[in-house]
Amino acid sequence: MRSSSAQMEIETPTAGGHGSGERRRLVAVSGRRAPLAGFWRQGLPAVWSSGFMLLCVLAMLAGMLVLTLVRGLGHFWPSAMLQIETTSGAFLGPVRDTDVGRDASEAASERLQLKIGNRDLYGLDFRWFDSAAIQSRSHPQDAVTVEREEFGNFHGYLREVRVGERVVAGDAAWQALDAEINAARELRHRGLELDGQYEKTRKPLSKLEQKLESAQRQARARDDEASARIPELRGAIATEKERLAPVLQEIAAQRDGLVAERLARDALFEAADGTTKQIQLDEIVRAYRPNSMSAPAKVGLYVARLWEFIFHEPRESNTEGGIFPALFGTVLMVLLMTIAVVPLGIVAALYLHEYAREGPVLRAVRLAVNNLAGVPSIVFGMFGLAFFVYGIGGFIDRTFYAEALPAPTFGTGGILWASLTLALLTLPVVVVATEEGLASVPSANREGALALGATKWQTLWNVVLPQAVPGILTGVILAISRAAGEVAPLMLTGVVKLAPSLPLDGVFPFAHLERKFMHLGFHIYDVSMQSPNVEAAKPMVYSTTLLLLLLVVALNTVAIVVRNRMRQRYRGAAI
Amino acid sequence: MKKTMTLAVAAALLIGSIGVASAQVIEVDPNLPAYTKVDETIRGNLSSVGSDTMNNLMTLWAEGFRKHYPGVRVQVEGKGSSTAPPALIEATAQFGPMSRQMKAKEIDAFEEKYGFKPTHLRTSLDALAVFVHKDNPVASMTLEQVDAVFSKTRKRGFAEDVVTWGQMGLEGGWARRPISLYGRNSASGTYGFFKKVALKKGDYKDTVKEQPGSASVVQGITEDLYGIGYSGIGYRTSGVRIVPIAPDADSDPVAGTYENVASGKYPLGRHLNLYIVHQPGTDLDPLVREFVRFIFSKEGQEIVVKDGYFPLTAKSCAEELANIGVEMKLSRK
Repeated sequence: MRSSSAQMEIETPTAGGHGSGERRRLVAVSGRRAPLAGFWRQGLPAVWSSGFMLLCVLAMLAGMLVLTLVRGLGHFWPSAMLQIETTSGAFLGPVRDTDVGRDASEAASERLQLKIGNRDLYGLDFRWFDSAAIQSRSHPQDAVTVEREEFGNFHGYLREVRVGERVVAGDAAWQALDAEINAARELRHRGLELDGQYEKTRKPLSKLEQKLESAQRQARARDDEASARIPELRGAIATEKERLAPVLQEIAAQRDGLVAERLARDALFEAADGTTKQIQLDEIVRAYRPNSMSAPAKVGLYVARLWEFIFHEPRESNTEGGIFPALFGTVLMVLLMTIAVVPLGIVAALYLHEYAREGPVLRAVRLAVNNLAGVPSIVFGMFGLAFFVYGIGGFIDRTFYAEALPAPTFGTGGILWASLTLALLTLPVVVVATEEGLASVPSANREGALALGATKWQTLWNVVLPQAVPGILTGVILAISRAAGEVAPLMLTGVVKLAPSLPLDGVFPFAHLERKFMHLGFHIYDVSMQSPNVEAAKPMVYSTTLLLLLLVVALNTVAIVVRNRMRQRYRGAAI
Repeated sequence: MKKTMTLAVAAALLIGSIGVASAQVIEVDPNLPAYTKVDETIRGNLSSVGSDTMNNLMTLWAEGFRKHYPGVRVQVEGKGSSTAPPALIEATAQFGPMSRQMKAKEIDAFEEKYGFKPTHLRTSLDALAVFVHKDNPVASMTLEQVDAVFSKTRKRGFAEDVVTWGQMGLEGGWARRPISLYGRNSASGTYGFFKKVALKKGDYKDTVKEQPGSASVVQGITEDLYGIGYSGIGYRTSGVRIVPIAPDADSDPVAGTYENVASGKYPLGRHLNLYIVHQPGTDLDPLVREFVRFIFSKEGQEIVVKDGYFPLTAKSCAEELANIGVEMKLSRK
């Protein structure tokens, strides 16, 4: 690279001189001939058409970005609620879409699509209305949007809030609602804590039960020693049960008290058509009146909903709530993949570039590596399934988890296998980039080090590798971009629709790499292609797409910043 | 002329019934008892592989089940009914949801591995619906017409190959418009069921646009004014309309309502099945047992309704539970 850049420097003035000479002659020529000839000879059409093409590409990119941004970010904004009276009743909800339909007489009529919510009352959350059939429209100030844990939104009016015997009605009900929702959710939270306490207290008993279960399993396989243990275990379980009973009963009583207290809190809502609906307060995620909200309140709500989207678990079969498990799964998978692919790729490239002797074998290996980059990703997925999941995973299960068989531990898709499959997929990118990085180290540096008496390994480790780091990191960046967006191979090696238990948690051994995981790319596919309520889920698809784009950009930015730091550090030291 | 007349009359009759169908709210049998938590530690992996029609149902059940037992880890995978039997055989899943019944060949493979047959549970009722765009004026179709639209073999014996909407009796601008077909991919139980029942095991036309999910069939039709397709009735949206189906040319068209599906009048009704591995005469794994009990409880069947499918009666729930040796006490109200 050094020598070639020196050559460049020598060549540049000549090339420049050449060019200006050419231009002078062209001007002279065009003076005599038709001006059009110069236009062609200077290659202006090519310049223009390439400029135009670039513009097209940029426009397409910008269009896609703007679409995802608008649709993805707009979803969280609380939209105004429109109440309409039609011949088939009154409905309340935000306008989602409008189009022009043709009725029987082929006359165009405007129609609007309302998100009417109340899936439990109407069956569907969306409905089209002919504007001719709409008798009146209004934006009532006290219209409430209730986000519920089940059945989607409820649209209507708050009538009363009930806490045990105390019933608050009218405007006071709205004042009390938020606090009571929080109280109800707090009660639920405490109930869950009590559940945890119950399980913890019961642990010795559960352990004995597990022992009994495994003894019974072994006894079935004609293990006499195990059958002998069974009566003894049964006795131990009975004593333990007796010992723990009072404590357990007390916790259970406490929990039942909490449940009763929680269930005593509900609110009465009335839909636009007058149907009333009792909703448990702990089932309400949040309730707001979009028509009478101030701008700052709307911003606050926007942030809260965005927060929920990023950091909460999905609800209602992934069509509502958040996507945190998918986000976490994607990041962890990319990190695991990077950890696997970087050492492997660098070592392979080092050997190929520094040690292997040039010849037909090396050329064949290089060709193979380059071709590997062109193999369709689904083929990698199938390889991963056969080799990692069934091969290595099956072997691990037979050797270390034999007692759990036939239920597989590692012999089924999991985040580890998915990461390793993607590592194979991105290996060629890293190998090629590392080789380029190694080739870019000036041979003078190498020769200098060798001349000073360093061994080949010392030269490599202390002189060549540090200077090749930016090139290697370029490879890693490309690998990350590729891996974060890849879905097809993951579908075979461990991605699932729902896996709220994260692969990292507080339970020993903390990292559960055999677990299946959720992934943003697959989430997009699943929600758009397979969700039961595809209209309600559509905004989630755009939001998730936006998040995936941002994630790829963020991962790349980190890698680029690291690379630039490295470059800075070795620029001075290199020569 | 006579045909268009009947269509027009049927249209007038049906516009009313469609309004009813979309507003219909189904109640779960009040005799069905609520789920009661057992005093036993239920934890471990709950893993399901199979039908994508039931994917959301399994997910919703799993979400509901986890509210009772937060220690349970859930993994739901749904890429088609055909993926369930291998997953059960390889023991990569405890639950195999299938939107069709297992074929004899699949049962044989299962028996070869375990030495006993898989346990078959009918969890709920579903109806396949034929969807058209919401602006499509077609009032109803007979099964013969459906066959002639989707199949190139026409085993139901309709006289001609139907390729334009004019052949379905539509007039004006619609008459010359070609019918655009949407369907499922071949791994799906919906594909298999529709082929078996509506097409009488005939072959689909090559022009059917095969979609990777039921929701994408509905999405495709929403965007395509001249589209028609089939999917589970639970996937309906406001952008599409369900066409009532007549079992044959002489009968009245039947809408896919709960009553019609439960009584068997609707020709495209089916059960949504769940297969589990259960050696007869042994105790079922507590996790599997409790999950099945949850499915056949009040909460479980309410989830069925929430997902747009049809629940079972308390009596059938008790029968299904008896299959795995669990007794259910009906709550009389």
